[in-house]
Amino acid sequence: MKVETPLFVPVLAALPVAACMAILGLPVFGYEYAAAFRSLYFVACLVWLIPLALLQRAMWRRDWPWLRMALVLLAASYAMSILNAVLGQGLGIWLGLQKHYRWNELAEGLDGCWLALIAFCAVHAVAAYYLSLQQVRLHLAEAQAAARDAQLRALRLQVNPHFLFNSLNAISALVSAQSNREANRMLGYVADFLRATLAHDGRHEHSLAEELALLDAYLKIEQARLGERLCLNMKAGPDLLDNVMPYLMLQPLVENAIRHGIAPLSVPGRLDIRLEQVGGRLLVEVRNDGQQPAQPGCGIGLANVRERLRHLYGDDQEVETGWGQDGRFGVRIALPLRSMAAAA
Amino acid sequence: MNIRVVIVDDEPLARLAVKLRLARRSGFALVGEFGDGDSAHAGILALRPDLVFIDVEMPGKTGLEVLAALPPAQRPMAILLTAYDSFALQAFDLAALDYLLKPVDDERLDEALDRAQQAFPYRAHGRTLPPATPALRSFSVRVGARTVLVPVAQVERIEADGDYATLHANGKTWLVRERLHNLAMQLDARQFHRVHRSTIVRLDMIAELRSLTNRDALLRLHDGSVLRASRTYMPALAEALQHLDKTSA
Repeated sequence: MKVETPLFVPVLAALPVAACMAILGLPVFGYEYAAAFRSLYFVACLVWLIPLALLQRAMWRRDWPWLRMALVLLAASYAMSILNAVLGQGLGIWLGLQKHYRWNELAEGLDGCWLALIAFCAVHAVAAYYLSLQQVRLHLAEAQAAARDAQLRALRLQVNPHFLFNSLNAISALVSAQSNREANRMLGYVADFLRATLAHDGRHEHSLAEELALLDAYLKIEQARLGERLCLNMKAGPDLLDNVMPYLMLQPLVENAIRHGIAPLSVPGRLDIRLEQVGGRLLVEVRNDGQQPAQPGCGIGLANVRERLRHLYGDDQEVETGWGQDGRFGVRIALPLRSMAAAA
Repeated sequence: MNIRVVIVDDEPLARLAVKLRLARRSGFALVGEFGDGDSAHAGILALRPDLVFIDVEMPGKTGLEVLAALPPAQRPMAILLTAYDSFALQAFDLAALDYLLKPVDDERLDEALDRAQQAFPYRAHGRTLPPATPALRSFSVRVGARTVLVPVAQVERIEADGDYATLHANGKTWLVRERLHNLAMQLDARQFHRVHRSTIVRLDMIAELRSLTNRDALLRLHDGSVLRASRTYMPALAEALQHLDKTSA
């Protein structure tokens, strides 16, 4: 991948070279007329820089190999230096320093001009290469960010429909059982949850307050479905509501806890949700009663949460899951402590 | 004397939803239904209803435009209906009695009708607040065979639980066989406030209030529990909290 560099690059590359040339470009004779010769070589070289830069850019654009480009540039700059020497002798004749052109001396003393032109080509090449590399890196980083964004979006969307259809199903059951009042109440809760999710603007993070509001809308639905079978205990520590939180992270955790933990139980189950600040981090803990399965498995929900957190915070996060001594399942997540105001 | 009601909504099923619930209540008489803003405007002027349920988003004139176009003296009490809102503040500017989000559930609609019944007798004499009904001192809760009295002053919040309500007091919960909106009317409005269709909270329990992008808010209480406050209750809640600040200061 290659990126076109702007035209100011050869201009900048020409500045030091032109300065050197004004000093170096003196032929073997003509010290009495130094100012005239210097001006001539200086102007001539400056003029040569234009076709040279264009030539270099054209080759660069065509993706020529480095060696070929170098040879062509050497040849071109050599020809230009010879022409400079011809101009120099012309000035000498005009000033009366010599009678006629001495063609055998043309190759003498042109190293100054040639070297200057070569130096220009080298500086130009390095600058253009460096800038193009920078831009390629930038594009690459942008592409990676976009890919990560898309992936996060996909992970996030896996969460929603699952639960919505379950709720619609529950409402349908209530309607079939002619429990109109309950059906209506459930519809109200589902509408609440939809409103809360629809208000979201597509960012991957929002405040803990927004996340808890979403969770609350979700929990109302589960409470309506499970009634007394769900004992909920949710507590949040002070000054955390404005902390940054990945969008829709708590809801799948809690859904897991209810669906796989509490719902299959024949007795009421307790769900504890705790949010605290511990050692400079936000600690989220979800613990639920449940029946430990014979084969340990990890639901899509948990894998999804792990993946998203890794994308968002790299190593600055921690997820711990497992069955505790008390026979309850727990998920503990540590997140960076950072307020929305600071993140904005 | 019945409260004369007009329902304005461009969707027949939406009108039906209000009509059915209205029919379950005494004290209200439906006098007209309109399906668009223009006929509603003419109809309201002709029928002079006391209360109008009016949809905000309608083809032609919106519900808010219909209300704004009526001369204030002929403006009935209004309960606004909206599916996807961004109108709450305008609604309160127009002194709407209430503002309901669709789908409307029974509790919320009953509450709006209660408000209409409370406000109705005072409409003729300008908009004055009804005097506070003597506030309840304690709840009597049946626990098995015995009855326990839970002092109102100890109650931190009340959650709707179907046809019951759960009282949270001193870290314990009690189930009361009473619907939330009935309880709401018996409590001292200076201490207790409805924050959500399913929650009443004691104002001095609120430790933090953070508003959300959808104009709801999240409350954290002193005991660490978190509650959602619905936008339809927010203006009243903000005012009550300000008042609380002043009285405690």
